Amino acid sequence: MNCIVCVTSVPDTASVIKIGADGNQIDEGGIKWILSPHDEYALEEALKITEAQGGEVTVVTYGPARAEAVLRDCLARGAHQAVHVIGGEETLGDSFKIAQTLAAILKDREYGLILVGVQSVGTDNSQVGQMLAELLDLPHVAGITSLEVGEGTLNASREVEGGKEIYESPLPALLTCQKGLNEPRYAALKGIMAAKRKPVEKIEPSDIGIDEGAGAAYRLRSLSLPPEKGEGTLLQGEDDPAGAAGNLVKLLREEAKAI
Amino acid sequence: MDYKVDIRDIKFQLFEWLDTAKLLESERFGDWDLEQMDMIVDEALKIAQEQMAACNDDGDRIGAQWNDGIVTMPESFKPVYDTISEGGWIGLLGSPEYGGMGLPETVGTVVNEFFSGSNVSLSLTLMLTRGVGAMIENFGTDQLKATYVEKTYTGQWGGTMCLTEPQAGSDVGASTTKAIKQDDGSYLISGEKIFITSGDHNLAENIIHLVLARTPGAPAGTRGLSLFIVPKIRVNDDGTLGEANDVACSNIEEKMGIHGSPTCSLVFGGNDGCQGFLLGEELHGMKLMFHMMNAARIEVGMQGCAAAGGAHQQALAFAKERLQSRHWKMMKDPEAPQVAIVEHPDVRRMLLTSKAYTEAMRAILLQASYYLDLSHTAEGDEAKKYKNYVEVLTPICKAWCSEWGLQVAHLCVQVHGGYGYTKEYAAEQYMRDAEIACLYEGTNGIQALDFVARKLPLAGGQPIKDLLGMAEKTFNKAKSDPELMEPAWLLAAGLKQVETISKELGKRPDGIQLVLINAVPLLDMVGTCLGAHYLLDQAMLAKTKLAAILEDAGIDTDDKKAYKAFLSDNEEAAFFHNKVQTAIHFAYRALPTVPAKAAAIRSGEKAALYAIM
Repeated sequence: MNCIVCVTSVPDTASVIKIGADGNQIDEGGIKWILSPHDEYALEEALKITEAQGGEVTVVTYGPARAEAVLRDCLARGAHQAVHVIGGEETLGDSFKIAQTLAAILKDREYGLILVGVQSVGTDNSQVGQMLAELLDLPHVAGITSLEVGEGTLNASREVEGGKEIYESPLPALLTCQKGLNEPRYAALKGIMAAKRKPVEKIEPSDIGIDEGAGAAYRLRSLSLPPEKGEGTLLQGEDDPAGAAGNLVKLLREEAKAI
Repeated sequence: MDYKVDIRDIKFQLFEWLDTAKLLESERFGDWDLEQMDMIVDEALKIAQEQMAACNDDGDRIGAQWNDGIVTMPESFKPVYDTISEGGWIGLLGSPEYGGMGLPETVGTVVNEFFSGSNVSLSLTLMLTRGVGAMIENFGTDQLKATYVEKTYTGQWGGTMCLTEPQAGSDVGASTTKAIKQDDGSYLISGEKIFITSGDHNLAENIIHLVLARTPGAPAGTRGLSLFIVPKIRVNDDGTLGEANDVACSNIEEKMGIHGSPTCSLVFGGNDGCQGFLLGEELHGMKLMFHMMNAARIEVGMQGCAAAGGAHQQALAFAKERLQSRHWKMMKDPEAPQVAIVEHPDVRRMLLTSKAYTEAMRAILLQASYYLDLSHTAEGDEAKKYKNYVEVLTPICKAWCSEWGLQVAHLCVQVHGGYGYTKEYAAEQYMRDAEIACLYEGTNGIQALDFVARKLPLAGGQPIKDLLGMAEKTFNKAKSDPELMEPAWLLAAGLKQVETISKELGKRPDGIQLVLINAVPLLDMVGTCLGAHYLLDQAMLAKTKLAAILEDAGIDTDDKKAYKAFLSDNEEAAFFHNKVQTAIHFAYRALPTVPAKAAAIRSGEKAALYAIM
């Protein structure tokens, strides 16, 4: 069974994020871009399914030229081919536009499963997968942590507060994946060598009828960093513990507004 | 352990300082490109941080266990060993024909830094296994190659090198292990070897020992030694495993460090049933073993560098978090708040010295690895020239880097204060683990003797002259830069001392005694000059790159305030700025030891010989 995995290139979670000069984008200087960690679970699951049942894994991304590096990473881990829709600077965070673009790419392709990370580490909207499923008219389950794929059907489960939901769905379907589903593999050296020779299909949004500047459902107006953590306040309580406790309650109530 | 490493410096040295792109133009490495090299470096680091480092504490605290002849590794080691084996990381330098990846040594050295810095015990098993595969690939018959090489490169079988015996340590020629030829062409091996790293373990299904042994009637000393492949479990003709091969592990050592590395005593042929196969020709054992030892010596040097690099990053992180005492500008104000200890000048000195020695070690090791690659890609005299450079640099890689690795690890414990002496922080483990690199693969004293007696006179002294000549060029280039002028002259002064002391010792009647007493400081003098040469060369490159960044940003360096503010906000600019400061610091702090050592040697002082001991 062929699997499609939609992936995103995101800043390394260890990167120090700075706001760019225009105030609505991050400063990309010094940022290391990686495969979004949730997408790693989606890719691993697709690789496991095709290794067990046959078929190929195609990874798809919609992002600027630098995003090709994450496609190569996926190819090095074992994906068979990749599709790169080059663009996305204008539509960052616009989940619906991203879903429309991915749907335009995938609507005529043959697949049994589409696997997507539960959210991208960055904008963290957790919407693209579900929107894409609706646009492609596919059944979908979000945030799965286990999966069994049978003949024409699948069983998937997802964690909910205090329990677990188990779904049965016909194929083809779309699943968004999260931690707990599997342990993503590392790229083997042979995989890194082979990745160079695997095909990456490059597509401009206009080639698939997407006008990035039109019909925006979402625009980022401005970004700001969380306020810097102030210095802590030390209450001396050795001589007057009761007084110190009183002061603590006062501070928690009036300054921290925690109680 | 939370393994930290200065990946920016590693990539700078690998991709910006060394011309790695040129290596990849050669036929030998033509299947690889720079983008793949970058991916390999990133992936190796990820494995080191997420896998190797994660089981490091088990290696140190639980350690390898010996029970009734069987060595058991901590449970967490096996899945990590499997991930690394299956990923092709053991055979990364081996020929693709035998399951290797055919990567350049230069990249292999970077991977070694990560693996060694994150879990030196486990990395030793990988190193020896790779070494055995390479030895059989280079010197084995077709049948031996077909039987053993791929299995070792893929980690299915482990490997060891067996030299030391109870009475034959540094004096390998005193080995008594016997090998008697049998009618079927194999040899019956009998004897005891000690201090065998990874001599037994449960990570691989078989272990292939390379054993130095003496055939009947062989001459005394190292000339009488031959090299044998001795599997722990015999291998059937179809490649499957057969019966046990009468190799017993009688004990493992209790050691100061590398607790996750089983250091074994092995008894071969205790029941007259140990079968070995000759590698190469009879009586060529030591010559062949030197191939494995030379590679291992560079890798052991990397253990020093990796310990230093890991320890320095740990100390730096600790110094930024640990609040203690007031800022030196407010030292008389008891009401002033505590500051992070990274603000204290003495701590900063220790941190910058650690950084400088680490980067100098890294440069020496990478440069030696680069020459090794060039010796493979070049031909004829050119290849010979690079091979000789590697020969000269090998004892420096091993001894200088292991010695300074230990010293840096010590400085990093010191940065931690009392906490550095506790097991709560990784600093003390780095220090305990680093000592072994000064001892095995030929003690640093043996390395120094090899350096002065064999390597300095090699090929009429031309290779060392070339290497120091390149340092001279760096001096000539750097002396016109106002910021680097004095460091450059310090280098020139060091080089002059190295040159004159060598000539003087050759002419003195007590020259031999002085060389034997002073081989270690002589090696240190050359290592220090080379370290300074490479750091100054890197500083000049860093200055060019920094100037371009500043020009783009419109920053005037004369405006100190604006420059400082820019550095605090631009990691890349700060990195290049620090490369320059690091080279300056090393020049002022390390190079003056060269004339000091030269003065001591030149004085002819021989109290060590005269003292009653």
